[in-house]
Amino acid sequence: MKLKYFIALFVFIPVVLIQLTLIPLISIQGVVPNLLLITVVYFSISNGQIFGTLTGALYGLLFDLISGNLVGSNMLSNTVAGFVAGYFSGETRRDKYLYTYSFTLVVLMSALVNAMIFSFFSVMDFNTNFFQALFNHALLPAIYTAIVSILVVVVPYKRAFN
Amino acid sequence: MFKLLSNVWNQFREYLVLITLVIISLSLLTQNNNPQIQKVRAVAFGSFATVTSLFYDLFNITQLKNENKVLRKLNAEMMIHLSMLREYGILNRELKGMLGFKDTTSLPIIPGNIVSKSLSITQNTITINVGTNEGIKPGMPVISYRGLVGIIQTCSENFSIARTLKNVDLKLTVKNETKRLNGIMKWNGEKLVIVDVPRTYDFDVGDRIVTSEISSIIPVPIPVGIVSNIEEDKTGLLNLIQITAFEEVLSVENIFILMIVENDEKNNLELNFYNRQ
Repeated sequence: MKLKYFIALFVFIPVVLIQLTLIPLISIQGVVPNLLLITVVYFSISNGQIFGTLTGALYGLLFDLISGNLVGSNMLSNTVAGFVAGYFSGETRRDKYLYTYSFTLVVLMSALVNAMIFSFFSVMDFNTNFFQALFNHALLPAIYTAIVSILVVVVPYKRAFN
Repeated sequence: MFKLLSNVWNQFREYLVLITLVIISLSLLTQNNNPQIQKVRAVAFGSFATVTSLFYDLFNITQLKNENKVLRKLNAEMMIHLSMLREYGILNRELKGMLGFKDTTSLPIIPGNIVSKSLSITQNTITINVGTNEGIKPGMPVISYRGLVGIIQTCSENFSIARTLKNVDLKLTVKNETKRLNGIMKWNGEKLVIVDVPRTYDFDVGDRIVTSEISSIIPVPIPVGIVSNIEEDKTGLLNLIQITAFEEVLSVENIFILMIVENDEKNNLELNFYNRQ
């Protein structure tokens, strides 16, 4: 078994620990950044679309089991998000999207897809205004996640090479 | 045939993997109440919560100072309330004795700490450091000194997961404390609302909302919040009552579990009654 599979598993534990303990401290009106998603996007761009899709599914399933969410809801949304991020993978594109501010845009796009799917399966209330729900449930968390991705991926890398 | 399958795999493997995983996810979504899934979940979060609780305690120490200050003030206020309640208690016992009522028993509560929070706009859950070893069961109410926080959903030996008020899957029967009107309260992803309230119901902004005794989950009145807004729903026939919860579930840390689960005997009796109709 390749080392990258082990790395993905090992990274999950600290990331989910931070997600469940520290991240709630920086929530804004209940909106929190999704560190698991940032990790899935990172793995998807660096290791390819299939790896990203599988990592998304595994992370989502494990997170559902340990957080008390509907089992399958995070798995589904992270699988699709990992798949979407995988489109930005490839030998030539990897460096372009991984350590530049483009990474933030990829995270934003994947987070939007992730949040929309997750919300669809958790709030099926057709009385709610669709666009307002889209804004509150998908856009705000996606923007917050994208901003945090700058801090955890782009900034440390830039500093290391300056 | 093998070549054809091989070609299909080589050309579409990303999509095949995606479709397979999506199908697995969707089938898992339909199996949430399966006892085996519940068992796997209990083992998974029980093991992980041990690690989370250690990690959480480290970062919690910094907040203790501020919390102590608030608690000291609250303690003083509670002392005054307590002396008033003692007076009422004496009077109440006297009046009950005069009327020949059976006295109510006190409700057992167990203190607990939140060791992790899974925050999302629609499905907020908290992990608590007490479990079946302390007698916790699914369905027990989780409260703080301000009011209701949520309901226990799953338990392992030492930890429990509770759905908070800000979880779309938690729906509760509540009532207007002063006007004795019942309704179903739920989190709609943005607000805590009592839904489908007839417009003839006399709710006012500022009314206190407590859990209703007709609830099949919480049969004792626990404060939930106050009415903060009343608006018409889209049909124009019903009202949507917006509630501001007494307890901010996102910042709560110290909680208590009320050791009651709605009485099975009572439920069965009601069910049998309806079955006979």
